[in-house]
Amino acid sequence: MAADGADPGQALCARLGGFVSFLRENGFALGIDDAASMVDAAQRLGLLDPLLLRWSAQALLCRRPDERERFGELFDAWFLPPNRRKYVESRAGGRGVLERARAPGGREAEDGSEGMPVAANDEAAADDEPAGGAAKHGASAGESLARMDFRHLHRPDDMRALDALMRGFARELRRLALRRERIGGARRLDLRRTARRSVAHGGEPFELAFRERRRERPRLVLLLDVSRSMNLYSFFFLRLARALLGAHWDTRVFIWHTRLSGVGEALREPDPWRAQERLQLLSAGWAGGTRIGECLDQFAREHAVLVHARTALIVVSDGYDTGDTALLAGALQRLRRRARRLVWLNPLAGREGYRPLARGIAAAMPYLDLHAPAHDLASIERVLRPLVLALR
Amino acid sequence: MERMQAVVALQRRLQELGYVAERPLAATLMLMDDLRRPLLLEGEAGVGKTEIAKVLARLHGTDCIRLQCYEGLDVHAAMYEWNYQRQLLAIRLLEHDGRSAEAKERDIFSERYLLKRPLLDSITREQPAVLLIDEVDRADEAFEAYLLELLSDFQLSIPELGTIEARSRPWVVLTSNGTRELSDALRRRCLYHYVDYPNFEKELLIVETRLPQAPARLARQLVEFVQSLRQLDLQRRPGIAETLDWAAALLRLDVGALDEASPEAILDSLGTLLKTRADRQALTPDVAQRLVASC
Repeated sequence: MAADGADPGQALCARLGGFVSFLRENGFALGIDDAASMVDAAQRLGLLDPLLLRWSAQALLCRRPDERERFGELFDAWFLPPNRRKYVESRAGGRGVLERARAPGGREAEDGSEGMPVAANDEAAADDEPAGGAAKHGASAGESLARMDFRHLHRPDDMRALDALMRGFARELRRLALRRERIGGARRLDLRRTARRSVAHGGEPFELAFRERRRERPRLVLLLDVSRSMNLYSFFFLRLARALLGAHWDTRVFIWHTRLSGVGEALREPDPWRAQERLQLLSAGWAGGTRIGECLDQFAREHAVLVHARTALIVVSDGYDTGDTALLAGALQRLRRRARRLVWLNPLAGREGYRPLARGIAAAMPYLDLHAPAHDLASIERVLRPLVLALR
Repeated sequence: MERMQAVVALQRRLQELGYVAERPLAATLMLMDDLRRPLLLEGEAGVGKTEIAKVLARLHGTDCIRLQCYEGLDVHAAMYEWNYQRQLLAIRLLEHDGRSAEAKERDIFSERYLLKRPLLDSITREQPAVLLIDEVDRADEAFEAYLLELLSDFQLSIPELGTIEARSRPWVVLTSNGTRELSDALRRRCLYHYVDYPNFEKELLIVETRLPQAPARLARQLVEFVQSLRQLDLQRRPGIAETLDWAAALLRLDVGALDEASPEAILDSLGTLLKTRADRQALTPDVAQRLVASC
């Protein structure tokens, strides 16, 4: 088909090649071979019809929901000349990504740069590192970001970078936690291995191998204090919880203040803005002091089933309590027996001269496996990594 | 321009087979045919991703081989497994056989003792089949890496037998719900299509195609109802499958039109649309009435 229209075909191919690099500059993760296969497909199949070309290019060149969303605009921008200039300019002047204001809060439609695998496609907009940003925060910048106290983080860029770090961390934890079936002395016969071992005995299945039932996956249960004294930090822990959920972890998240409520569903919400809305709805109408004791007691009564032998229970709170500390001690004592590990993360504990004197924390101390500071990502990593290993 | 006609023809053909596809999807399916690349479908649960593979099989008059992915899926469940019982038995039977040890060995590790699992099955058919790899995001990363060999070269290696080349190239359809991010390497090898919730016209067409016996008025109303239901803040938004279930339920209950039906009948049948307790509670009789009234 290329033969009957060699000239227009040639021009179209050049145009198409240019389009692929244009997409790449706008944050699509495309390689040189993608351009080749696109041009090849167009040539062989004679995709001269504009609509057909659009649909085919979309199928070939888009890889993610957010890319597909932006594709139409970019296609028009490239193939309809009058519009094209605008985009080229924004590319030269900016960070190489077509910027598009969306939704309140200055949400930008950006794609992750290469080498920065974008987790959770649903978070596309809010969380992705802009292409230019990769250079801005190199490894060392990431390092310093991980050590930055959460309460000093305000810039949206930092937040995005932190989100990326959190996602990477969550994935790493998942890798640590995943464990295959172990070969041990229980239940089902493993014929594959039995046959292999029989070789040593001249084909006699002498040594039997067994397959052990895969154990339950390790689970993290996060109990986040979202009272006013914690408001500088709770936001970050929610983000961390979201990252953990995104990495397909068995994570359960509860927030509490004067009452306890589960927020797993709200955090799983694909649209970050709707997620925020739902969280606000959940916590709306709360006032008064923190009642750690009552909330933990409520958890121990209503949700204790969630805590099995491979569960780490993580309480995040500063320990300022206006409730009954005896209740707190009782609840922790009961939970301590069920959980593999009971950890208290305290954002204040990292500050100089801190001593666990607040009423809540003082009452909880005897039951904890660990009371650790958690004011930045590095300190959380220090706690969670050994914790996950302990769950295996 | 012939190609455009071909796309339209394909679209019509798909509809005859009971699947309503937009033109971009039809064009993508054609492209898949031409380039013989796998197709990756993403979208929410219940929008008809799996159905595409099934209709593709009907279209080509072949089998749809389905591999349902789950966490911990391994090579032996997906590709092949030796039939150990029979092998052990064969070793015993061959003991007093006069043949050379080599010949016996060849016999024991021949295809006769190989259990074909979906992946191997799909490439060793004489007639190309449709291979559906469902919910690939549920499988581990390790399995995903394993898939790459199949998807790029259409061959599989079995240590005891060597590399098995595809006898025929299957049409491969992968679906993903986005519970986990897929690797770039996998995405690169595939054509991509995102399946969205259908708009009103399309959903109506689907209901009419799949349930031709439904009265036109009822079909319009129930599609409108589901469309506005999706706008509500629900935990699980109903997909097309749910719409069809509900339509079937209403037909069974002899409902001719939503506004004429008794509110109880509608509320009772909502179990086909709303699948969580919270959603069911959120849709109080008042809300249901209001939705019906606006249809």
